Amino acid sequence: MSLGERDQAAIREAFDDLEQDVEVTLELGPSATPVTLLAAGGRELDTSAITRELVEAVCGLGDRVWLRVVEHEQAGKWPRTTIAGPSGTGLVYLGMPAGYELTTLVGAIVESGRAESTLTATTLDRLATLERDVAIDVFVTPT
Amino acid sequence: MLLATRLALAAPRIAARGIEASEFVAEAERHGVRSVPAIVVDDRYAWAGSVPEAVFVERLLAAS
Repeated sequence: MSLGERDQAAIREAFDDLEQDVEVTLELGPSATPVTLLAAGGRELDTSAITRELVEAVCGLGDRVWLRVVEHEQAGKWPRTTIAGPSGTGLVYLGMPAGYELTTLVGAIVESGRAESTLTATTLDRLATLERDVAIDVFVTPT
Repeated sequence: MLLATRLALAAPRIAARGIEASEFVAEAERHGVRSVPAIVVDDRYAWAGSVPEAVFVERLLAAS
């Protein structure tokens, strides 16, 4: 799954605006572990291999994007892509960031590379009232 | 998804995960996910659909 020239140009332009370094950690499971995906028409796909190709291609388009790949021998919730900036982890993504979710991968890198939050002052004030940890899971599909 | 990312970057107490539902079917079914985007807060189904930032934050605080 390669990126088209237009996609590459758009991503490179987005990454040109990164104000700080972004670390992307891609964790993969054992190779040749096909997953049957309804979203891919019921085909069996090696999601780890496809994700690696995609994430490597995306991260290679930004000078401030640093990719680390970790290969696990045991089965688990792979592939897992973690995107972090200096202020902490922005997103952990489970699965292939393909289709519409390519935007999620690129967007999370852009957000993690911002020096200042783009959230409203009201939101930041509300977040300051949090007194315990909160876990948000967002379920998505690539189509 | 990007809003959850922004929240996680702004608040150390917030952790955000994106989960591809067709790859992690058991996870999606466990939470009763029938449409996307679906939001699960602290392992409990919260709501489905995209909402404005202010609404998301108020729902998040109410659910957590």
